Amino acid sequence: MVKITNLSKSYNRGAVKAVDNLNLHVKPGEIFGFLGPNGAGKTTTIKMMVGLLNPDQGSIFINDYDNQRDPIAAKRSIGYVPDSPEVYDRLTGLEYLDFMANVYEVSPDEKKKRISYFLEMFDLVDAANDLIKSYSHGMKQKIVLTGALLHNPALWIMDEPMVGLDPRSSHLLKELMREHCDRGNTVFFSTHILEVAERLCDRIGIIHKGKLIAIGTLEELRHGEHAGTLENIFLELTEQ
Amino acid sequence: MKQFINLLKISLNVNFGISALRYRFTKERKRLWEPVLIFLSIIVGGGSITAFYTMILQNVYMVGLVLNSPEIVIIVSLIIGQFTVFVFGIMYIISAFYFSNDINILVPLPLKPYQVLGCKFITIMINEYLILLPLLVPSIIIYGTGIKPGIAYWFKSVFIILLSPVIPLIIASVFVLILMRLVNIRKSKDLLIVIGTLFGVLLSLTVNYYTQKMPDGDPGQFVQNLVSSRIDIIEMIGEKFPHVIWSTYSLSKTGLEGFIYFGLTIIVFILAFAFLLWLGNQIFYRGLLSGQEVSSRKKRLSPEQINRKTQGASSPVTALFRREWKLFIRTPIYALNGLAGMIMVPFILLMPVFTRGEEMQDAISLIRQPQFIAHATLGSFGLILFTASVNIVACTSISREGQTFCISKMILVAPKHQVAAKLLHGMSISAIGIAVTLALVAIVLQLPLLRLLIVLILGLLGNLLLNILNLIIDVIRPKLEWNNPQEAVKQNLNGFFSILLTMVSLGCLAGLSVFLFDMGLSEWWIYIILGVIAGILSLLSLKVLFTLAEKAYKKLEI
Ligand SMILES: Nc1ncnc2c1ncn2[C@@H]1O[C@H](COP(=O)(O)OP(=O)(O)O)[C@@H](O)[C@H]1O
Ligand SMILES: [Mg+2]
Repeated sequence: MVKITNLSKSYNRGAVKAVDNLNLHVKPGEIFGFLGPNGAGKTTTIKMMVGLLNPDQGSIFINDYDNQRDPIAAKRSIGYVPDSPEVYDRLTGLEYLDFMANVYEVSPDEKKKRISYFLEMFDLVDAANDLIKSYSHGMKQKIVLTGALLHNPALWIMDEPMVGLDPRSSHLLKELMREHCDRGNTVFFSTHILEVAERLCDRIGIIHKGKLIAIGTLEELRHGEHAGTLENIFLELTEQ
Repeated sequence: MKQFINLLKISLNVNFGISALRYRFTKERKRLWEPVLIFLSIIVGGGSITAFYTMILQNVYMVGLVLNSPEIVIIVSLIIGQFTVFVFGIMYIISAFYFSNDINILVPLPLKPYQVLGCKFITIMINEYLILLPLLVPSIIIYGTGIKPGIAYWFKSVFIILLSPVIPLIIASVFVLILMRLVNIRKSKDLLIVIGTLFGVLLSLTVNYYTQKMPDGDPGQFVQNLVSSRIDIIEMIGEKFPHVIWSTYSLSKTGLEGFIYFGLTIIVFILAFAFLLWLGNQIFYRGLLSGQEVSSRKKRLSPEQINRKTQGASSPVTALFRREWKLFIRTPIYALNGLAGMIMVPFILLMPVFTRGEEMQDAISLIRQPQFIAHATLGSFGLILFTASVNIVACTSISREGQTFCISKMILVAPKHQVAAKLLHGMSISAIGIAVTLALVAIVLQLPLLRLLIVLILGLLGNLLLNILNLIIDVIRPKLEWNNPQEAVKQNLNGFFSILLTMVSLGCLAGLSVFLFDMGLSEWWIYIILGVIAGILSLLSLKVLFTLAEKAYKKLEI
């Protein structure tokens, strides 16, 4: 589903190497957790996947489409939730969702059904006709999540999605992720909340200083020289 | 196409705040009079300029009649319109294409670059109508009512007006697209703003110089002479930009010939637009994405440096005063808006002295007569009151904090001290204005030293009062919600209220002075009385400011 080869990106003309020769393979139908301490390069990688940054080197295939050569097809396969919910403040929630559905060319029937399904689920029915400007951080996050799911994307990419959600909503989100996979799709999300990763992910990749330092199922990570909980593994791997 | 319309709908909605307005009227119901007030002031301000402009066009039309080509009036207004659109367009385009907040939303969506670009282009084009309509409609009406060319003329003119921004905006867009592909402008954004503003200042000074230089007598006659002696220039511009001539001919020629020119013009517009979309599809995203990086210098600070940067202890007011200055200087938008006007306005007001030296020399020697010296002194005081308070510093000083206002709420410095620091900052800026104006007054009017000193003292007192009142305005209605520092100062109604306030105080000053003169008081008494009044009012309003600040800092939420 995602195939990243030799990906590199540096900022300020090479002064900061944010992603360093990254190779990553995400299989269809799995929930993939992308872990790493602050500044590890998670957001930079994700931005390159969705087309917000151009890589210096390397290639990214999404759903078998090269996102440099065939960006529209690649983007069509993606539902993207950025780390800070950026939405049109001056639209109402409903207008925003309608816009997103139209951009992804969701059929009118499907659109109506899915919008009301998610609004109901996230408890946003009452707020749907208010300006997004008046929403709380969590409500904005939920609107963005909904907007990214309306077209049932083959690959759902989220950057730190749990931040700012109340316990109920983050529980819902976890269920949604599972559900999305069960429908044959793939979920890719970054986080530094280890507990979530531990419980939810089929496979985990750990990135540190732009380099992928470990990848595999939790079981696989536990083997080898590392032992114990994910927290121990994480701390050990990212020690210096 | 469906996607494009969808995108355009949203983009127009966001740009013109349609949903936001509806929300404001139906749900919030607060400060409904503000949009009305803005609208009225635009009508009044725009109306008078348009009337003057129409009068000039009328004269151009007369010349055209004499030269047997009355369509010159349309050519002239089209040329003026094209240049205006181009100048404003460059700024609009840079900010809409490369700095708008929706880029991060739009780029990950499966949209073609040309769709995003085309949609932003059309939004800008509609924005430009606000300036363009008053420029074009008068000439269309003048020609139409003068020549009476028939119904087809009016029909075609609607299209010509609506499409007239296309070419200059395309030229501007192509220029910007290529520029952005070559240089990473985001890094030099601040530099760009400085250059842009300096350019604007220069332009307005030049325009001012030439309008002042217009000889006395009938301005209409002057325009007529100008047009008939410069007809070659108009023709030359027409040759360089043939679409202007074609647009004009499609209106002025009747019958089939007119429609052929009309068709030709439309085809040129469409082809040019298609070219822009093609070019945009090639290079728009590349320039956009390479500009996404913001520079951050990651240099480890040594312990001594950290010590030096975090200065020793100082009183809260001095610390805050320093912070105000730092933020002010490091955000070019603030610095330019604060300083440019104060330095420019005195020059503009005293421009006549430079442009028409001799007549002014007489007037100035008259002013220096003993019987007028008091008037000159008071006049200079009024001038200083005006120039040193036409900055947005005090009246936006809380607004400028924006979302960081929550820090001010949290820190353990009394609101009283916080606004005191802001007042000091505002006064230190006004002091620059006072110095500039005073220097100019000293050079031009050559007032005696004692009078200059009086002007200085009165100016300081008066501006203190105005700055306090401006701060009160901002304490009462700060604009804390903005995404872009520009909004905090430029789209802040407080600036308008502040000007209003200055005008009212100038009126009071004038009335009071006349009254005191009529009472037969000597000029020294008048100065003293004015000074005392300004002082007492300052003290009183300072008290009010402190109480209001105390309340507002508690109440305001973000
Ligand atoms: N726009 C930018 N300009 C310059 N450097 C950046 C930019 N964004 C991120 N960086 C740097 O790149 C590195 C990786 O950042 P990021 O990908 O945001 O990390 P993460 O999301 O894992 O916390 C950091 O060192 C950060 O300082
Ligand atoms: Mg991040």
